[in-house]
Amino acid sequence: MKKIGILIITLIAACVNISAQGTKSVVINEVLVNNKANFQDDYGQHHAWIELFNTSFATVDVRKCYLTCDKRVLDKSLSAPERAAMMYPIPKGDVLTQMPPRQHLLFWADAYPKRGNFHLNFELDSIGPNWIALYDANAITLIDSVTVPANLPVDCSYALKKDGIKAEGWQIVGNAPNTFVTPSTNNVTLDTNEKIDGFKQKDPHGFGMTIMAMLIVFSGLCILYVAFKFVSTIGMKIAQRNAMRHHGIEDEAEAREKNVGTESAEIYAAISMALHEYQTDVHDVENTVLTINKVKRNYSPWSSKIYNLRNMPK
Amino acid sequence: MEEQSFLGFMANNLADFWGYTGFAHATSEHLIMILIGLFFLFLAIKKDFEPLLLVPIGFGILIGNIPFPTDAGLEIGIYEEGSVLNIFYQGVKSGWYPPLVFLGIGAMTDFSALISNPKLMLVGAAAQFGIFGAYMVALALDFEPAQAASIAIIGGADGPTAIFLTSKLAPNLLGAIAVSAYSYMALVPVIQPPIMRLLTTKKERLIRMKPARAVSQTEKIMFPIIGLLLTCFLVPSALPLLGMLFFGNLLKESGVTRRLAETARGPLTDAIIILLGVTVGASTQASEFLTTSTVFIFFLGFCAFCIATASGVLFVKFFNLFLRKGNKINPLIGNAGVSAVPMSARISQNLGLEYDPTNYLLMHAMGPNVAGVIGSAAAAGVLLGFLV
Repeated sequence: MKKIGILIITLIAACVNISAQGTKSVVINEVLVNNKANFQDDYGQHHAWIELFNTSFATVDVRKCYLTCDKRVLDKSLSAPERAAMMYPIPKGDVLTQMPPRQHLLFWADAYPKRGNFHLNFELDSIGPNWIALYDANAITLIDSVTVPANLPVDCSYALKKDGIKAEGWQIVGNAPNTFVTPSTNNVTLDTNEKIDGFKQKDPHGFGMTIMAMLIVFSGLCILYVAFKFVSTIGMKIAQRNAMRHHGIEDEAEAREKNVGTESAEIYAAISMALHEYQTDVHDVENTVLTINKVKRNYSPWSSKIYNLRNMPK
Repeated sequence: MEEQSFLGFMANNLADFWGYTGFAHATSEHLIMILIGLFFLFLAIKKDFEPLLLVPIGFGILIGNIPFPTDAGLEIGIYEEGSVLNIFYQGVKSGWYPPLVFLGIGAMTDFSALISNPKLMLVGAAAQFGIFGAYMVALALDFEPAQAASIAIIGGADGPTAIFLTSKLAPNLLGAIAVSAYSYMALVPVIQPPIMRLLTTKKERLIRMKPARAVSQTEKIMFPIIGLLLTCFLVPSALPLLGMLFFGNLLKESGVTRRLAETARGPLTDAIIILLGVTVGASTQASEFLTTSTVFIFFLGFCAFCIATASGVLFVKFFNLFLRKGNKINPLIGNAGVSAVPMSARISQNLGLEYDPTNYLLMHAMGPNVAGVIGSAAAAGVLLGFLV
């Protein structure tokens, strides 16, 4: 019973970690509130939109999560159903709610939920500030929220500077050269690998990489060395103590003198080999030769059929 | 429809059939690759060079280089989505065969030699210099850093690690790198001894090492747990390889999962090696394989192996300067820092016996050998961390 209890607690602890890797990795990535001539929905109309981004390297399903722009849901005295009633539940049963790794999902804030699963039941305020939030399926856990500033220019969006990285901050894009509104795609186009470019530029001959990598490999194995030096010291002490107890010796100096507990592994290997040989080789080896040649047998009454076989009764 | 005689109809169909045969599509490149495949089989069967690897790879090369019409949508080629070979190839491409091989290696490896003499871990680390030496040479030959890293990992003498890293950094070089890595692993008995002889004196070759102490079961159980925690906290990108290696070892040493350990080191490893070998061989299609970069990869792989062997041996000699007389290490075990387990350890043993028929170095060499496995996986993790 106790073991089962420990197992259940371990499983619960593991499940807590699993949920952390799920919808928690979805963030609000870009919002456009005043859409006049920007991206069109599947009905050919211009509406405000909200873009989510899956920051993880695993597919995340956002079905049953909630999107809202109603700040009343922050009232902690409300029950989960009361909060859910103020939000748009992302429907289940649509494979498109599964966000592939590092990909985007766009929702239209047009208050036309009947137009499809990605059309929200609320609109955004094109003049004032907008608070937008993504809630988990329990309608209580806030996954992400953003306050879009008031008076955003027409057809300009409020976007994370780097996809999914909130620490880099937000910016208004589409109103200045080299800033672009990017619905359903990356806010920053990834056409180079910064790390590799850095190595090509700063370390063209590979010396830096060699020194750093060898240092890391050496440190890793040095740490292991130190750890096992420590473990082996303890192990040797325990082995010596056990051997002393077995031999009835109490003085450590005497034990050292008689080499008690410090036998080499070779002795045990030899004993093991001998035991193995003994256990697996229990039958005598017959001194026989297999041949196709005719074998000449000398007559002996001891091997004669006359004496060996019982004669049939007449 | 044009009127056609029965014989004409037959002739047309036979001509169509001819168009589907390998003979109609064979090129000189296909024949060269088939000859390479046959050479691998010859090495494996006749010369007994790593037959468990070279037979599947050699036969895989034959499978991958049977010419056929690639535009007919037959779904038979290894690079055609939906084909059976392509399904097998996913294990290489997505990199999940190598961790399973590591699981098996962990379940069959006895780390006692390393635990009883932990300083041998440093020899395993030193041999990884082969990887980074080859990385510098590859950069000098104008390879991109990611490609250079994938080629250089051949110096780790660890086929699964090479495949794992290449599948992440330079998938287009996968076939050439995998074949090169396994070829050189098979050629360890040819490559390493001359370097070892060259870099050691007769006196050094005769060094007798202190016999390993007996290692308790508790220490053996603690090794994979502590090893995983320490190495993977430092290099988490090596987690798939080191995680499975230490997990396999725990299955072996825990003493309560004998069935799992036996499956991991037996049937599971055998199945994965068969699939890995055949698909790696089949991925070396002439059009992908016979390029100048393959020649460079083989050259760099050779350099990496030589540097790794030399750096292992030289490191032991350097290390000996700081060790007391009775604790000296025989430099002939330095070559075992490359992780070709247990082949390079066997080389140490054979060479040691050549100079002193009573000096058995095998178990001492197993220490750096298994440390080399950990070291090369860690090196791959470092490269992955730096370049992805």
